[in-house]
Amino acid sequence: MGKHTYQISTPIKRLFFLFLTLLWLSPVFGQTHTFKDEVGREINFSFPPKRIVSLAPNITEILFGLGLDKEVVGVSIHCNFPEKAKSKVRVGSYINLDYEKIIFLKPDLIIATGAGNTRDMVERLESFGFPTYVIYPKSFNGILKSIHHLGQVVDREKEALGLIERMRQRKQRVVDEVKGLPRPRVFLQIGDAPIVSVGKGSFAHDLIILAGGENIAGNDNGAYPRLGMEEILRRAPEVILISSMNPKGDYSRVIQEWSRWRMIPAVKNGRIHLIDSDLIDRPSPRIIDGLEEMARLLHPEKFRAKIQNSNWK
Amino acid sequence: MKMLTFRKVLTVSLILTFVLLLVTLASVMVGSVRVRPGRSLSILIHSVFGLGGEETEMERTIILSLRFPRAMLAGLVGAGLSVSGAILQALLRNPLADPYILGVSSGAAIGAIVAIMVGLGALSFGLPIASFLGALMTVLVVFYFGRQDGKIHPNTLLLAGVIIGSFLSALIMFFLSISQKEELHTIIFWLMGDFSFSNTRAILIILPYILLGVFLLYCQSRKLNLILSGEESALQLGVNVGRLRLISYLLASLITAASVSVCGLIGFVGLIIPHSVRLVFGPDHRLLIPACALVGASFLIASDTFARTILSPVELPVGVITAAFGGPFFVYLLRTRKVIKTL
Repeated sequence: MGKHTYQISTPIKRLFFLFLTLLWLSPVFGQTHTFKDEVGREINFSFPPKRIVSLAPNITEILFGLGLDKEVVGVSIHCNFPEKAKSKVRVGSYINLDYEKIIFLKPDLIIATGAGNTRDMVERLESFGFPTYVIYPKSFNGILKSIHHLGQVVDREKEALGLIERMRQRKQRVVDEVKGLPRPRVFLQIGDAPIVSVGKGSFAHDLIILAGGENIAGNDNGAYPRLGMEEILRRAPEVILISSMNPKGDYSRVIQEWSRWRMIPAVKNGRIHLIDSDLIDRPSPRIIDGLEEMARLLHPEKFRAKIQNSNWK
Repeated sequence: MKMLTFRKVLTVSLILTFVLLLVTLASVMVGSVRVRPGRSLSILIHSVFGLGGEETEMERTIILSLRFPRAMLAGLVGAGLSVSGAILQALLRNPLADPYILGVSSGAAIGAIVAIMVGLGALSFGLPIASFLGALMTVLVVFYFGRQDGKIHPNTLLLAGVIIGSFLSALIMFFLSISQKEELHTIIFWLMGDFSFSNTRAILIILPYILLGVFLLYCQSRKLNLILSGEESALQLGVNVGRLRLISYLLASLITAASVSVCGLIGFVGLIIPHSVRLVFGPDHRLLIPACALVGASFLIASDTFARTILSPVELPVGVITAAFGGPFFVYLLRTRKVIKTL
């Protein structure tokens, strides 16, 4: 008897091999894929995703930039670009997700950002059975990497690589143009009272450097240092950029405030400019528009013509 | 004082329990996604009796994982804060007292901040436990400094609590302004009160503190009444005033610490509910404590329901609603009842 117990009858053996083959082939048929996201979590979802919820404006911009107009079914209340995004279902803000709406949408993939959404939120979404991919770009190159990752995750890698290549070229053009030019001292103001600036670790800081400027708050405390007026006077910025959170807002008063300080070179020479905050603090493809705009403001002699906004879509 | 019969306590409690049930049901029926009211009810009933209904998976998740736990948590916290406020107002003999007056809230916030700074915030249990410990330590420190000759004096304790609380608030602001960690900014939302993370775990954390705390305080209600009518007479009637004070303060603080650790600071409930209940039902603790617990629970559930639905999909901090609705209602009570019954 002994020997026979190890023998498996032929039909069952065949079935077994058929099963193994199917198992091996299953990824090819596009059942599910496993990805590692940018904070090191492993997620598993049906590929390619057909119903995507984006939890941040930059993610929405990237997804639309990759041509996923149909697949994106829900966006955050902060998502204001492109125009088409505004007609999608709103699923709450960074800090306050509307979980009911998300459950209602039955997404097969949610994309979150490490800079805004919390770990608790992501865990909660996972507990409802929604795979959640987290991106967390921290620098200009990080943005390109995130676009590439999202391209892979949503099965638009070719489009992503094209988008990245165009961004690289436009960035290189700016970098080449400003090479060797004197670097003006820049003060970028993002808050009015108190005056908050940008430092190392913020995207706007990277843009100032790439656009051929020197950030006078670059070596201060953290990404969003708060400077006193005395300190700003001492550092004597040659260009003041005011980041406009609200494009329709009235910034004449803010500019007026500066006119009191005639000893600041930027004030004396009338080099106070507004810059759209969405273009400089969102890690999205439009950051390249922000870079070109910044370069134009820092080196007007080099970039005469106004750079066309958003030619990626 | 009119005689309070057990019968009256029972009747009032039953009526208020019924109100609480209605409010809870109403809260479970509304939200940013429309689930038919009848459907919400049948999902609840099915889950209790373990039956499967015809409802969809989506509806089940929305009702059982989002709305119901949230109503439960809001109810527990509302009950806890109201009772805690009532006790502190009586013991400190100060109508301005609320559950946070002895610095418990700042202590909890410091605990949470320290946990985030040393990286404990990444653990899923880390934050509530750290903030609970912070709150407890603060309570102990306040008690240590609030004593004189080994005895607790209401005014000394009150001052100690307020001052230690202010000191800790300054520390919080200091950490927030120098911090590089983005996570720390979530503390700000926590300081505004937040029920959006309600889940079974949070409910299990605070359930024992609130149920047991409220029950034990209720057991002291007769003695608490005696203290109100004068410390001397309470002593003469054989009440160990010192021990009663200590136990009641500690219980009220424990309840508050547990609430703060899961949902942050929710203002106004612990101040206004005890006063309102006192105006309507009188100062007798045998009725005041159960009534406060039930009214507080209903009030906070209702407020939170408004907070999450009025501007949906954006959620308001629940404190905005408690103040906006509670304030005018309290003024109305003051006007119509004329006399504030003694604490």
